[in-house]
Amino acid sequence: MKKRRYLSFLVILSSSFCPVSSGGEPQVLAIRAGKIWTSADGVITNGVIIINNGKIQAVGENAEVPEGAKVLDMSDKNVMPGMIDAHCHIGLSLDILGEMDETVAAVAADMQILDAFNPQADDVKKALRSGVTTILLAPGYRNPVGGQPAVVKLDTSKADDWVLKRTAGVEFSLMNQALMFDREPTSRAGLIELVKEELDQAKVEKGDVFNLRREVLKRVVDANLPAYIWAHTVDEIASAMAIIDEYKLNAVLVAAGQGDEVADMIAKRNLPVIYPPLLLSSKDKDLKRAGAMANSSVKLAFASLAPKTDLCDLRTSAILAVKYGLDKETALKSLTINAAEILGVADRIGSISEGKDADLVVLNGDPLQLTSSVEMVLINGNIVYQRQGE
Amino acid sequence: MKDIKRIVVLASLFLLFLSAGAFSAQEIAIQAGTILPISDAPIENGTILIKDGKIAALGQNVAVGADARVIDASGKFVMPGLIDALSRLFVIDSELNENRSIAPELNILDGLDPFVKEAPEVAAQGVTAIYISPGSRSLIGGSGAVLKVNGSQDVGQMLLKGDIAIKAAIGISANNESSSLGRLADYSSIREALLETKLYIHNKEKYERELAEYNKKRAEYDKKKKANPAEKADKPKRPARFRPNPTREVLAKVLSKEIPLQIEAHRVTDILNALRLADEFGFKLILDKCTEGYIVAEEIVRRKATVIIGPVSTSFIDMPRLEYRHHDIRNAAILSEKGIKLALGVSGRDGASSKFVTLAAAMAVANGMDKDLALRAVTLTPAEILGVADRIGSLQVGKDADVVILSGHPLDSLSRVEMVLIEGKTVFERKDQQ
Repeated sequence: MKKRRYLSFLVILSSSFCPVSSGGEPQVLAIRAGKIWTSADGVITNGVIIINNGKIQAVGENAEVPEGAKVLDMSDKNVMPGMIDAHCHIGLSLDILGEMDETVAAVAADMQILDAFNPQADDVKKALRSGVTTILLAPGYRNPVGGQPAVVKLDTSKADDWVLKRTAGVEFSLMNQALMFDREPTSRAGLIELVKEELDQAKVEKGDVFNLRREVLKRVVDANLPAYIWAHTVDEIASAMAIIDEYKLNAVLVAAGQGDEVADMIAKRNLPVIYPPLLLSSKDKDLKRAGAMANSSVKLAFASLAPKTDLCDLRTSAILAVKYGLDKETALKSLTINAAEILGVADRIGSISEGKDADLVVLNGDPLQLTSSVEMVLINGNIVYQRQGE
Repeated sequence: MKDIKRIVVLASLFLLFLSAGAFSAQEIAIQAGTILPISDAPIENGTILIKDGKIAALGQNVAVGADARVIDASGKFVMPGLIDALSRLFVIDSELNENRSIAPELNILDGLDPFVKEAPEVAAQGVTAIYISPGSRSLIGGSGAVLKVNGSQDVGQMLLKGDIAIKAAIGISANNESSSLGRLADYSSIREALLETKLYIHNKEKYERELAEYNKKRAEYDKKKKANPAEKADKPKRPARFRPNPTREVLAKVLSKEIPLQIEAHRVTDILNALRLADEFGFKLILDKCTEGYIVAEEIVRRKATVIIGPVSTSFIDMPRLEYRHHDIRNAAILSEKGIKLALGVSGRDGASSKFVTLAAAMAVANGMDKDLALRAVTLTPAEILGVADRIGSLQVGKDADVVILSGHPLDSLSRVEMVLIEGKTVFERKDQQ
């Protein structure tokens, strides 16, 4: 026990003075773990993860620990891939809620949310402590054609590497909240009309006049860039599907709260869903929806929508979903690899497999138990959070 | 012919009555995998015997009558019904308070809506009793009550005990703004109300003494007059009439320690002010919410105050108010480690939140609270703090048969509640066997 403490102390020391993965010569880190929830090849008991230069070099029961590697003994712990919050608004100063949306113009496709992001904000650290290592930083839902979300890692210590995608797509909102009394559109029909008009114009746009907005929407109608479409109720989802069909968009549904009622239609179109937080006040009926949707073969990722609700803890959402019918394995994948696939970053993150970034979460128990807590978080092989007293 | 018919009908009615009577008096025996009595160590492969809605016996060697109804819970966990000590089930948010600062004579029972649809969902998660108290908009807001979530829509049938505590609140923000001066004013207004009550008690006692004196003298006077009507005597003077004041009457019960004062306080200064009030007036203090309690744990220990913490995690509430700015999820762990008697309340955004009592306990455990203490904090400890431990909170002979059967340990997030009994009556039974 003493020895283990000493070892981890050494590791922390070394990591704080010279990050394990960066610096002159690449260093190797080996994590011995009681259980490794890979999100790719099931669960490995008493396995080893070898990390070289911030990447996972090997994982398995018999992965060989190279000579000179620093060993992190987590043999009584659980290790899972860093969790991915597929939609949130952290790091934006929400004292003025307007920070999330452009409230004067209805169309703001050229707005890049990353420009408003403060990586040192408290809620960013809070997300990290809960085991979230990557987020889709998103604008709000008050613009029918909104801005561009970004995929960022929460280790911002290095200047360049933390932005995985500056433009991850374009946000659309077909929800009632996108209607404002002092701005057009003011009706549902007007809203749909506006969205279609923008897409139509992007389609026919010739490259004569440079227009940032059209430029990015052109990529959306060419299906080169995903459309993240906010739609909550069944009718909003139906409108979304009509637009997706008409323009053959590469789309992701956001917040499809009533999606379970039209799950077959969503599944038929292979539309992934970014699901809003399950709240600790919801009725049983609503808590069952995520599981019902996944059981109809809809690919899910979880979103905290933080800090709109304080449910920063994605894991709580997943646990509630499991409690109300979601399959355990699907829940873990939704927190990790499914989210990575939906956001188009599965080549880098989302599972503990060879070649991927060493973004890991160490817990003192089963990830799908509320009694378990996050003890350590690594991004690119660097310890970016360690719980006090460990 | 007609007579015979009548006799047959009467006889069958009589039989029906008999069988119904027999049914309700029937013994129930739960044969459990693991019994968690909370008051004592777990019992493996034990039996709980229920008679007339009460626990008649429990242990490994319990004799079960031949006609008892046996519930097979082998391989399962059996525990006492859970208690949410900070619930708002049956209450509409706007009806928690009168917009008046000092109103201890109000009773939460008068503002309930027993028809809310969430109640069965709460019972289905094993929560059999809830404590509801007035909100935080009044400085002193009225009395709270413990209700059973037994499916009845009659408040009288649900009520376990009323007048549990008088709810007060110090330093609650209005429109998410607060000033130190305003919070100090809260403290002094409550103090003033208690001082006035002291004076009221003094005057009342004085009046009672004078009245007794007067009655004695008057009797003597009447006697003299009767014996000798001609004799001159001074007619005793009746003391000025004393007007009872309902507000003061209730607070007098607080000062005489008949009813605890439950003070909602979030921030350090407010908690310290609550403790100062308890020091000055000597009432029984229940600290409610106690958000920043972890910072002044030693002070709470010194005062021997009991605490109801909630919410354990800010995940239970919407956009956190000012009060929760320094909320720390380790609060419960830190306070309980110091030996403070504490219950965990859900304190969620609405009534349905009460169903997540065990999840709140699990979150406290994840952040360092002892497992057994966390379970106790949602069963026996709240029963003790709220003064209903003679009826609920643990599986002990003589207590109400409020029993929960779970597929696994209650702190396992994925355990399912299989069956819930309140006073021996089944209020929930899982249909789908997944």
